[in-house]
Formats: sequence, structure tokens, C-alpha cells
Amino acid sequence: MIEMQLTFPRLFAAGAGRLEVSLEVPEKQLVAITGASGSGKTTLLRLLAGLEKPESGVIRVHGNTWLDTARGVNLPPQQRSIGFVFQDSALFPNMTVLENIRFVPGSPLLADTLIESAGLRPFIHQKPGKLSGGQRQRVALVRALVRRPQVLLLDEPFAALDDASGAELRQTLLTLHEAWGTTTLLVSHHADDVRTLADRVIRLEYGTIISDTPVAEKTSGQEVIQRLFFDTDARQWVIETEATQLRSGNPVWAQFKPGDVLPFPA
Amino acid sequence: MHTPIDWEPIWVTFWLTLRLAGITTLLLLLTGIPLAGWLAISRFRLKPAIEALISLPIVLPPSVVGFYLLLAFSPAGAFGSWLLHTFDIQLVFSFKGLVIASLIYSLPFMVHPIQAGLENLPVSWREAAYTLGQSPVKTVWKVLLPNCKPAILTGIVLSFAHTIGEFGLVLMIGGNLPGQTRVASIAIYDEVEQLHFETAHAYAGLLLGLSFAILVLVYSINKRVTI
Repeated sequence: MIEMQLTFPRLFAAGAGRLEVSLEVPEKQLVAITGASGSGKTTLLRLLAGLEKPESGVIRVHGNTWLDTARGVNLPPQQRSIGFVFQDSALFPNMTVLENIRFVPGSPLLADTLIESAGLRPFIHQKPGKLSGGQRQRVALVRALVRRPQVLLLDEPFAALDDASGAELRQTLLTLHEAWGTTTLLVSHHADDVRTLADRVIRLEYGTIISDTPVAEKTSGQEVIQRLFFDTDARQWVIETEATQLRSGNPVWAQFKPGDVLPFPA
Repeated sequence: MHTPIDWEPIWVTFWLTLRLAGITTLLLLLTGIPLAGWLAISRFRLKPAIEALISLPIVLPPSVVGFYLLLAFSPAGAFGSWLLHTFDIQLVFSFKGLVIASLIYSLPFMVHPIQAGLENLPVSWREAAYTLGQSPVKTVWKVLLPNCKPAILTGIVLSFAHTIGEFGLVLMIGGNLPGQTRVASIAIYDEVEQLHFETAHAYAGLLLGLSFAILVLVYSINKRVTI
């Protein structure tokens, strides 16, 4: 359980104000945080990660106090059990994919498992500059999970991706979230993310929560896979639904079969 | 009347100049990188004062820096006297004194490019390293510095070139002792004073050639240094 009450002076689109948030997130829940640009979504994640210091507040995660301004407690990011995926992926360009992932103090075995799960094996020896936006975000996601964080924070990870890459990353995120059950806060503008990923949606406006609603059915409105095959020329998996055809080099797609509900938006 | 050039003192002077610039640059690299790394990520309240102190040699005339260092190093002063009586070290009119003076004088030329290079990197790289559990020191060493090699190279070249070109400071601290403190820039001045233009030409030409070669080398390396 994440419990937080935070107050932070901040400049919003409408002028100077205060981010004032009181929130509880049960373990393993995936919460989408939405709202207009400048509503305080990213600031909330940064406060949770310890990248910003609030004016006052408390953050407790699974009973451990990360922040308590009244008692002078404020753990640095290194001591908070978090994984953070930045909008620009923040991969280190001097390191290969594998070196980026192994840079994190964590189990090499877990790193290998995550690499397989996210379909990163074919390009582990490449530098980030050679990867597509979607591949970079998948690497960033795996890197963030290697520490086995109690809380995963995703700051607009799909923002710079095209539809196909976004769909692929959503699938990877969903697979990893189901496998590891990490409590996750996802900042996003996209309705697709909310519809396909989130258990709960929180909407922020000028630093205040204006709505907090559960998502009843994650996969509602999705399509059924009619045909799945591997295109040997393009070396990609191809999924066909009634409405569309999707392609990806992600080996995770091999696990799908005709008749399955497409677990991400077409 | 044409006077034949005596090359031996020229080579001695050049070797001394290169030794001074080489040792200064190496020591500046060892001290400048951690200092620049700290300045780039620190939120210390007195950071502006420290930055101003490091930058002073850029705005002050070399003679001002030289004057204060001369007072500090002089055996007549408290620090110089303590060095002499405790360690038997005299910094005035010695090569050691020149190295220390050059370190102080060229420090901003090493620190500024590296600090600027580090500060220009995306903040998210540093923050990502922190959220991945890494310390600030490891973050600077493993993530930030490897991604600003051109800035480090610029710092090395500027420090080396600036040390080679020192005149006023070297003259005040080291004087003009052949083989001990007489560097190329002072030798040129000295030869011109004595109307030995051929010898002055030899010094100046060598400095010109050396500087050009260093810059060509740097630009070639800089083109190849990719992240």
C-alpha cells in the first residue's frame, strides 16, 4: 500500500498554486494519472521518487516511511524502492542495452528473465541510438524493473511513440505487470492506456485530484485475433483481426493464438 | 650581423615548457574532473562563491595573480616560511612553484568546459541513475563523464595551451632561470630584448607549429569521439 499526503508549491498553467494530493494505492494496482498538461501529474511522480522535495507531507510504502517532513525524514531516490521510466527513456548512450540493464544493482538472472519477457534479446548488444523509440522504452521499462521495485513510476512512456510501438509497449507493460505485480503509477494523456492498462484512473487539475474512478473492464471494446503468423521476409510476427493487421518483432507475440482477445488496442 | 642560432638552449627551454604544460594539465585533469563533476550536480549554497573563486584568474591580470602568489610563496611570508622550514621546499624561482602557480592560473580552463559539458547533458540521465540506486559519484563517473568526452578534451587542450602561453605569472613566480624556470614565452621576450630576432623566430616558429599541430590533432580526435 502506498499512502501519501503531499503539499508542493508549483506553477500551473493558470498561475502559481499548490499541488495538494492525498492518495492511497493498494499493492499491485496499476493506477493511471491523467489530466491536462501542467496539471501536476509528472510532479506527483517526481515527489514520490524523491526527485523533488515537497513543502510538507508524508509518503509511506508498505509500512516504510520514505518521507515525513514533520519528522525530518526524506529518503533520497537511491533508498526508495522505485523504478522510474522517463518520457525520453533516459537510456545511457555510452552503454549497450545489456550494459544499461546490468548497470542496475540487481540479480543478473532476473535481468535475463526480464530481457526475454520484453523481447529484448535480439538487440542487447546495440547502443540506444540504434533502437526505435518503442524499443528504447521497453529497455527503460526492463531496466526500471531489475531492482524489483515496490513502486513503478511511468512518466508518459507512450508519448513519443507511434501507434504500433505504443501498442507493443503496452503489451510488454501488461505482461510484466501481470507477471511481477508491481504497484504502478502511470502518467498518460492517452485514453488507450487507461482503457487497456489501468485498474483505476485518477484525474488531476491544477494539482488537485478531481476524480478517482476504478476501471471496470480493462479489455472492453477490444478485438479478437483471427490469424497469427511469422513473416519470414520481414522477420516479424503478424496479427490480423477483423479490422486491422499489426506487425512486431517482439517474440512475446508468439504466445498469442487465434481466438485470443487482442490485449492492446489495434 | 647574422648570429648563428644555438639550438641547445632552445631545446632545453622547450622541454621545460612542455614539461610544465604536461604536468600542469595532468594534475588539472585529476583535480578538475571531480571539481567540475561536483559543481555540475551540487546544490551547495556557497557554490557561486566557489565558482567565482575558480574563475578569478580569467578576469584578473596575470600580474595580480602572480603578485599574490609571490607573496604567499615567498619565504618571507608565513606560508612560504612554513614550507621552507618544515619540508625544505622553496616555491619562488623554482619549477615546483611554477607548476603550483600554473595549476591555480589554468584551473578555470579545465573546470569550465567539463562543468558546462556535464550540465548540458539531459537531467533525466542523472535522475535515472539515482532512481536505479546509483550514488552521485558513480553517476558522474559511469554515466555523465563518458558522455562528455569532447568537453574533457577541450579542457585538456585549453589548459595545456594556456599554460604554454603563460608569461606574466611565470615571470613573477619563476623569474628567468635557464633550465629551471625559463619557459618559451619568456625566452622570446628575452631574445627580442637583446635583438636576437633569429633566435626569437626559432622559439616563436616552434610554438606556432606546436600549437597548430595540437589543434589539428584535437579537431581530428574530436570528430572521431562519438558517444
